[in-house]
Amino acid sequence: MEDIKKAILEFAENNKKSKFYFADMEKGVRKVMPDVKAREVKKAATSLINEEKLIYYSTGSSTMYGLKGRGQTEDY
Amino acid sequence: MAFEPREEQKELKYKELRIYSDEELNNYTEEELKGFKIKHEIPVCEELEKGPWPSFVADAKREALHRRKLADDRMMIERDVVEDLLGQLEISFKEGETHWKHGGIVGVFGYGGGVIGRYSDLPDKFPSIAHFHTMRVNQPASKFYSSDYLRSICDLWEYRGSGMMNMHGSTGDIIFLGTFTEQLEPIFYELGHVLQQDLGGSGSNLRTPSCCIGRARCEWACYDTQDMCYELTHYYQDELHRPAFPYKFKFKFDGCPNCCVASIARADMSFIGTWRDKIQVDQKAVKAYTGGEIKPNAGAHAGKDWGAFDIQKEVIDLCPTRCMRMEDGRLEINDAECNRCMHCINVMPQALRPGKDTGVSILLGAKAPILEGAQMSLLTIPFMKVEPPYDNVKENVIEPVWDWWMEEGKNRERLGELIQRQGIQKLLEVLNIPPMPQMVKEPRSNPYIFWKEEDVPGGFKRSIEDYRSRHAR
Amino acid sequence: MALSTERLGLYNPNKPMENRLTDLGPRHFWQYFPPIIQKNYGKWKYHEILEPGILVHVAESGDKVFTVRCGGCRFMTVEHVREICDIADKHCDGYVRFTTRNNIEFMVDSQNKMEALKKDLNSRKHVSGSYKFPIGGTGAGLTNIVHTQGYIHCHTPATDASSMVKAVLDELFDYFQGMTFPAQVRISMACCLNMCGAVHCSDIALLGYHRKPPIVDNEVLDKVCEIPLVIAACPTAAISPTKTEDGKKSVKIKEERCMFCGNCYTMCMAVPLADKVGDCVTIMAGGKVSNRISPPKFSKVVVPGLPNNFPRYPEVCQSVKQILEAYAADANKYERIGDWAERIGWERFFEKTGLPFTEHLIDDYRLAYDTYRTSSQFKYTEASWNVSRAVGGIE
Repeated sequence: MEDIKKAILEFAENNKKSKFYFADMEKGVRKVMPDVKAREVKKAATSLINEEKLIYYSTGSSTMYGLKGRGQTEDY
Repeated sequence: MAFEPREEQKELKYKELRIYSDEELNNYTEEELKGFKIKHEIPVCEELEKGPWPSFVADAKREALHRRKLADDRMMIERDVVEDLLGQLEISFKEGETHWKHGGIVGVFGYGGGVIGRYSDLPDKFPSIAHFHTMRVNQPASKFYSSDYLRSICDLWEYRGSGMMNMHGSTGDIIFLGTFTEQLEPIFYELGHVLQQDLGGSGSNLRTPSCCIGRARCEWACYDTQDMCYELTHYYQDELHRPAFPYKFKFKFDGCPNCCVASIARADMSFIGTWRDKIQVDQKAVKAYTGGEIKPNAGAHAGKDWGAFDIQKEVIDLCPTRCMRMEDGRLEINDAECNRCMHCINVMPQALRPGKDTGVSILLGAKAPILEGAQMSLLTIPFMKVEPPYDNVKENVIEPVWDWWMEEGKNRERLGELIQRQGIQKLLEVLNIPPMPQMVKEPRSNPYIFWKEEDVPGGFKRSIEDYRSRHAR
Repeated sequence: MALSTERLGLYNPNKPMENRLTDLGPRHFWQYFPPIIQKNYGKWKYHEILEPGILVHVAESGDKVFTVRCGGCRFMTVEHVREICDIADKHCDGYVRFTTRNNIEFMVDSQNKMEALKKDLNSRKHVSGSYKFPIGGTGAGLTNIVHTQGYIHCHTPATDASSMVKAVLDELFDYFQGMTFPAQVRISMACCLNMCGAVHCSDIALLGYHRKPPIVDNEVLDKVCEIPLVIAACPTAAISPTKTEDGKKSVKIKEERCMFCGNCYTMCMAVPLADKVGDCVTIMAGGKVSNRISPPKFSKVVVPGLPNNFPRYPEVCQSVKQILEAYAADANKYERIGDWAERIGWERFFEKTGLPFTEHLIDDYRLAYDTYRTSSQFKYTEASWNVSRAVGGIE
């Protein structure tokens, strides 16, 4: 789990978009961990959300993830 | 039969939960309301107070007056919120343009859905709706309520929000319409800790499932729509709150092919009740219908004189499969040919009932028009027995479909679009089911079959030398 | 535990994870069933519509539950909901239910209670005169119009919803309180083509439609929006990055590719698309979701664009009435609007309703050819003679 989280953060930091879809994040993680399962990536992402390192960005119809503090800022 | 909820349900008593006193709740008179003017001029809105249909403007005005007369410390957001909403609406009517902006990052901590951010683009003019965020509250299955629960919700929402709501939104949630960012978490805490009540879905989540009235008050429900809706909503809470899907995903539960919650038009996964044995016939009641003793169609056509009931013309000739006939005064049904359209049952509910061996048909892929056009759900599983805890549906249908969609679906691609892109053939593989002619209206009319190598004897690899041994260059 | 009156209630902003309860889901439905519903759950035998808006369901035990169905607004204030609770407490032991189509259902266990309830509901009016709880919406009549948010709350509407529904239902009120149609009529309303109301399978669908692509606010776009998100938001890939003459980063829009969905505006307030004249109302007809007799059908576009004439939309009301009156006069018993149109032919539908057939009603999107008539079977109407005349085929 910790290595998935690390891979997510690396993907997020190196992404030129500040918000990204789950599938893109999953692909990013797969580049370094080819066998990772979608459900594991989700668990890791949820954990990063709870640690306030990632945020959700929702348009109402679809949802993206983002690195906290990058791009449009959150307003909890 | 009674049901056991997954968790013990706290009994909610309004008199213990309430915020407002009776004096506060009855703080204006009808006379005051008649003379009441909100702080903005709203002649166009007020035009909508005329006419017989319930006027939302008239309703909004009484909430506005009620808030005017509450003490300052009895509302956590501005008292003028209703008046400002009407004021902005008036401007929208005059200008023919909305004045709302989208707000993408508000929410409650740890959830990716349930709150829709909204801001006015006229905050100076209408400061009390500068923030106007919506919260979706997951409704109880089939929307029965006790007044204790509703009154408690009302107090909570008037105290911490605008007092305006939707009963209900299109997907089925109770919608809290308009509050400030600061109050989102407090409302979420009150809902959870005091009312034992969670938010619904939005964004790329499982959306709040909904169901028809089912066995609570309908003789046609072929499975327990409420129970299945409740169980799957609880079982998939993580999918409902924490988005990891390519896009939204909807379950809807219709008890019979009449489709009262429109699952076939709206749900990525539509569960439609059906049966596999014979329609139950009460021949005595059939006679009562043909003899004119019982009104056909449960009295639905009573407003117009359609003449005497004619079973031949109104039932037998309209049957889409022509599988019925009258013989010696008895209604005979060739059930093997029946496609269970419900027409005869709808017309003669006291004589005919769905069979006793019931289950669901599962259809996949409905969606609204954007982008490739609207789609209705595609018949995928013809019949399946469904009993709590619905493990066969969870393990053999829902989860394989989600795994496939999460793996292959593009961003913002609904399940129906994925099925269209990759074909039913792929869906068969995913669900590990054989093809059946019931999946199509008709077989393909183009012969462009993309044969796979393994389908063709000897495979695709051939030797050019071998070919040339028979054919000169 | 009472509801809190502290400003932040039970929430501690310094410790957002403290005591956080999640994943509770909805409350269980069983506790909200009136005793008669609990007792007869799954044991209902048949039902009957006694009069418009009044149903009786009879259980195997012989128990009867009487339901009074009232039209409700989707938009409701807590004052209205409290009045609903007062009625529920007075007549129904505190129970009430809402339908999928925003109706309110009060249930009682005897005919006498039902009569008292009916009288009470009919007597309740807003001070300005409209009914609070009009009874109806059953059987072969018009039921409540489901709709979306419109100007009340949405950022991409091409029209308003609550006002249009009010205007149309005022016009059609007698149909709501009657059962004079050949079959049930379901009208639905969505204020843009995102259709969060999923109106595409309704007997009549009212649809707000933008007709002008977004305007780009080059001055601020790069400051207030994230350009990659705006580009990614477009379902038709009509948006691309650009630089303005003075070197500001912005986006440009390929106008002929725009389908007016507003997804870009969701991501970025610097690309607004609402427009008083551009925005219009499209009417679709002939859809249904029920499998009864014929399979479910999509609604078809029958009126391409009517003006947003607030707050009463006379042109929209008129067109809807034209469809309903022609349908009521001509359809066979049990025929839904779509079944009727298919039986008489769509050419006859336009003749009988008097709605003009314009080129906008002919599909030109993907798979359009599937909707073209490839047969010599047709009926003559004035529209066909006009073609014959235009080509010199007849005098």
